[in-house]
Amino acid sequence: MNFFKQIKKQSNHITFGIIVLALAAVPLLLLNGSVESPMVSFLGKAMSFCMVAIALDLIWGYTGILSLGHGLYFALGGYGMAMFLKLQATQGAITDFMHTGGLTELPYIWKPFQSLALTLLLLVAVPALLSFLIGHFIFKNRVKGVYFSIISQALTWAAYSVFIALSPYTNGNIGITEINSLIGKTKGPANQDNLIVLFYAALVILILIYSLATFLVKTKFGKLLIAIRDGENRTYFSGYRVSRFKTVIYVISAGIAAIAGAVFVNFNGSISPSQMTIAFSINMVIWVAIGGRGTIVGAVIGALVVSLCEYNLSSGNMVEYWQYIVGGVFCLAILFFKGGIVGLFKEQIPALIKRLKGAEKSGNGSFEQSSL
Amino acid sequence: MDSFFNTIFNGLSSSSIILLTSLGLAVTFGQMRIINMAHSEFVMIGAYMTYLTQNLFRAISPESVFSLYYIFALPVAFIATFLLGSLMEWLVVSRLYGREIDSLLATSGISLILQQAARHIFGAQGVNVTTPSFLSGGITIGGCTFSYNRLFIILLVGLVLFGMWFLINRSSFGKQMRAVMQNRPMAKCVGINSRKIDNITFSVGSGLAGLAGCSVALLGSIDASVGQSYIVDSFMAVVLGGVGKLLGTVLGSSVIGFSGITFERFTSSSIAKALVLLIIILFLQKRPQGLFTVRSRSLDE
Repeated sequence: MNFFKQIKKQSNHITFGIIVLALAAVPLLLLNGSVESPMVSFLGKAMSFCMVAIALDLIWGYTGILSLGHGLYFALGGYGMAMFLKLQATQGAITDFMHTGGLTELPYIWKPFQSLALTLLLLVAVPALLSFLIGHFIFKNRVKGVYFSIISQALTWAAYSVFIALSPYTNGNIGITEINSLIGKTKGPANQDNLIVLFYAALVILILIYSLATFLVKTKFGKLLIAIRDGENRTYFSGYRVSRFKTVIYVISAGIAAIAGAVFVNFNGSISPSQMTIAFSINMVIWVAIGGRGTIVGAVIGALVVSLCEYNLSSGNMVEYWQYIVGGVFCLAILFFKGGIVGLFKEQIPALIKRLKGAEKSGNGSFEQSSL
Repeated sequence: MDSFFNTIFNGLSSSSIILLTSLGLAVTFGQMRIINMAHSEFVMIGAYMTYLTQNLFRAISPESVFSLYYIFALPVAFIATFLLGSLMEWLVVSRLYGREIDSLLATSGISLILQQAARHIFGAQGVNVTTPSFLSGGITIGGCTFSYNRLFIILLVGLVLFGMWFLINRSSFGKQMRAVMQNRPMAKCVGINSRKIDNITFSVGSGLAGLAGCSVALLGSIDASVGQSYIVDSFMAVVLGGVGKLLGTVLGSSVIGFSGITFERFTSSSIAKALVLLIIILFLQKRPQGLFTVRSRSLDE
């Protein structure tokens, strides 16, 4: 009995373990020939979505800050990585779009992206600094709830228009395209090995981020985040500087989102401002809401399930109905299933079984009261 | 001097469009505390209703009265979005009172569905509305041209604003509405049917979005995401003005409209828009409650 209790207690980690094992098996299936390489690089992208979903879950599910602009950090990380890869391809010379845009030499903002170490540092540091500035001022002034959501939406929209307007530096609407991954080409059967290495690297990053997030929410800091979510004023009155905690978790979340963006670029081979839109940011919220907010594994499940469904449906004639399905499911999840898929298995289904058992008992004529 | 008047006129016309799209939000967000992300889709539906009315007139009416379609399109758009808003309130929004963030999320799910529905029905390509003859052209005073359709939108905003003020502050419905929004249990106690008031209020907010759609139809091509380009500005106008005050929304949209036009003289329009949003966000750091505040002693306002 104790053993089962232990399993129940660890069920989140066990579920994540199963997901990891399933993902780890995918490259083997690729070698076997039963899975195509586009599917593998899609799953690589899906893993980056899992990472950004974890980032969003930390601030929304645990701290109650709903950001409608996490696409901004995702795209910043992505652009940093993409520019490094592009400059690798051109050997540090200016790119085609800069040339078309009238630039004669590499602009200063992209100079550091010639070296790998600086790129890796900056692609986390820049979003982290930006999120610190935004978070520090907004949270200090006690802008909260939907006001924060609306402001984050406006900020993302502003950044999006600036990225499009600065087209000599960012290639506007098109973004940075035709790039190889960090370890070379991944497309085509000849480069299968590269793809597999990249896939496992992404899986390791996902495991690390998952461990970091689950560790964070278990510490005292994590408990405080939950306290802020459930009673911000009470936490203030207990003597905690709520705004500082909020800023810290917001910066961590933005950093994770940026890493996710960098992973995404490696599999996608391009980055465009569409990853910076409000629509894409709302997509992230949908993953977390459907998977189950407030549980890290829920974010992973949601991102995987929703993007897998989208991948499979968008190839057939169901593509037109996909948006109906995702909109409808999202709406229902918000209205009736606050816990998402995880909540469904942890609360709704056990409650249903209990009720059915209760009905059976009363059907037998016993007047025993079912537990409420 | 000419360019000065031009700037004033352009600013006025840009503010009036933002105001028209944000008035509906001022009702649903300001009064009911429902963040309706599907508001932009109601604008889009209003625009498509204008397009449909035009097609109907082209098919059955004689050429001479064709331009009158626009006059009929206004009530058609209002009623269509009013009814849709009523349905949405009944099915979804009524479960979300007091849950601001959830209302934002649930309505953004609906917004996805409505966008896809529009793409299904009208196709992904944008459609255009013929400007009615009495609104084409413009008057030229001292070197600057005031186009009729922009003037018409300013006039429409004035009328809608007056109507809203009358409805909220002078009618018995408005009195009941304010009572319900201020203190729901007490309003119920004195015999107000709060379910009905909620439903009508939300529907009026949606209907206003439909009217805004009519004017948006005059300005450019209509597609499934036409409302999206207005929604960020509208939300910011409501927040900047101070949630819950009609006058605040008017001022908020004027600030956004005029400063956008002013910055556009120095830089490109997208950078100008981004600058305006950044300045507003900075301003909101100073006054998180917006320009006008509803006084309250409640801690969680």
